[in-house]
Amino acid sequence: MKRLLIAIALVGRAALGQNAADGPILAAHGLDSSAFINMYVPAGAVRLIAWDRDSIVVRGQKSKHDRIFFGGGRQGVKMAVESPSGGDSEPSNLVVYIPRHGRVSVRTASANITGEGVAGTFNSSSGNIRLSGVVSSVEAESMNGSLDLDLTTPWLRARTGDGHLLIRGAPQDVDASTIGGTLDVIAPKVKRGQFVSVSGDIHWIGSPARGAVFDFSNHSGAVDLALTSTTSAALTLSSVSGDIENGFTRVRPIASPPRTVRFNLGGGDAHVSVRTFKGAIRVRPQ
Amino acid sequence: MTDQTTHLTEDDRQSAADGTLPVERRADVEAHLADCDACAADVARITELMKRTRDAMLAPPSETASLDDLWSPIRARIEASKVVSLGTGARPSNSRPLISLIVGGIAAALLLTAVMLRVRPSEPRTSATAQATPDTSVLRAVSDSATAYEAEAQILLDRLEIQRATMRPEARAAIDRNLHTVDVAIAELKDAIARDPNNPALRQLLATSYRQKVELLKRANAS
Ligand SMILES: [Zn+2]
Repeated sequence: MKRLLIAIALVGRAALGQNAADGPILAAHGLDSSAFINMYVPAGAVRLIAWDRDSIVVRGQKSKHDRIFFGGGRQGVKMAVESPSGGDSEPSNLVVYIPRHGRVSVRTASANITGEGVAGTFNSSSGNIRLSGVVSSVEAESMNGSLDLDLTTPWLRARTGDGHLLIRGAPQDVDASTIGGTLDVIAPKVKRGQFVSVSGDIHWIGSPARGAVFDFSNHSGAVDLALTSTTSAALTLSSVSGDIENGFTRVRPIASPPRTVRFNLGGGDAHVSVRTFKGAIRVRPQ
Repeated sequence: MTDQTTHLTEDDRQSAADGTLPVERRADVEAHLADCDACAADVARITELMKRTRDAMLAPPSETASLDDLWSPIRARIEASKVVSLGTGARPSNSRPLISLIVGGIAAALLLTAVMLRVRPSEPRTSATAQATPDTSVLRAVSDSATAYEAEAQILLDRLEIQRATMRPEARAAIDRNLHTVDVAIAELKDAIARDPNNPALRQLLATSYRQKVELLKRANAS
């Protein structure tokens, strides 16, 4: 028993001890627990980790030619990686610990962003954004980077151009869109969801929550809903010129005006509306 | 204990530096610090940093230079590399132009209409009628929102045009690629509307595509 406890303790320390590999400390500052952290990291990678301390600690590697600008007070700090020459800074690799109830506003050009339990806005031009944990709200945007959002949050807003957008975990109110990127949603707790694309396919897998209201809209991409057998939803599927495929063949449509199909699954608790211009709409059992 | 994987955690090092180590961790941490130069040096650096931060915060306001003073050179640099200026420093979501609010209101009204249409699924004739002879006020609201988005898109597009030269080539290519995708969709929808002007679904899709375009342009401006 004692040996087991020691083993667990060692494993625990090994996992936590990886922090030591984060690199030298670049900045540290005491903060209020709800402080605002504004960051600009052009290239490389930035990993944000929420912790239960009232301070910010920045570790990592940066080019010796660049410097870290860091300033602020207890209510908030601003930091940026900058090149003294005024040109583009070289890639840096930062790990930033921030108070759990703080908020960040992170912007990058090509740097990838990772957030663990961190709320706020995340914006990258071409970097990928990967967020996880329990947070108060998140707004994540990239021009052509991919977004992997595995969050438990009451409010989530996500945008990408032609990157892949994956929404999982347990967000409740979701507003997500892509231009050409694929949008995948596997999030059973969504209460209100708006999922939009122009030419990327949208996939929804699972069973909508009771009373949920979903709105899917696509121009030329497909909307594919793979629903579990326990689904209780009223569906309205309409397309101007795309195919509408109903894989629940034993369910008779309630109404079928031109290019619109309406039918109920189970008691019809959730409301699901799908609209496309020429993209196919497929609804099928999971 | 100098193995990388068994170094002190960040939490331990911070706690050691500010003297807040829990009693039960104290012996372990002190033993490690006595043994490990890397962690000991790190704790010393944190202690020094904290002292300096404390000193700076206790100093009179003039010496702690206002945050905005410190930030302005950075901001100027970010501004120089950006497509469109940050404006007054407010986050985009806080400075939504009036037009967005109007459009938002129309969208909300539409959603409400859509929900109202949906909550009566057992009356197929009503639904079918709604489909065939659209409520003119809904139609007008949808085309108003498309018009509002179109106007906003044009303003953003003009700004983008001015700033194009200063953008990174790969960022410019990504923006152009995405804009092309949306513009193709908008052109197809306008074409379809010209042939079927009273179809509310087309106008709603057009409004959605314009919204996509506006948001894309805003994203381009912010990155
Ligand atoms: Zn150590």
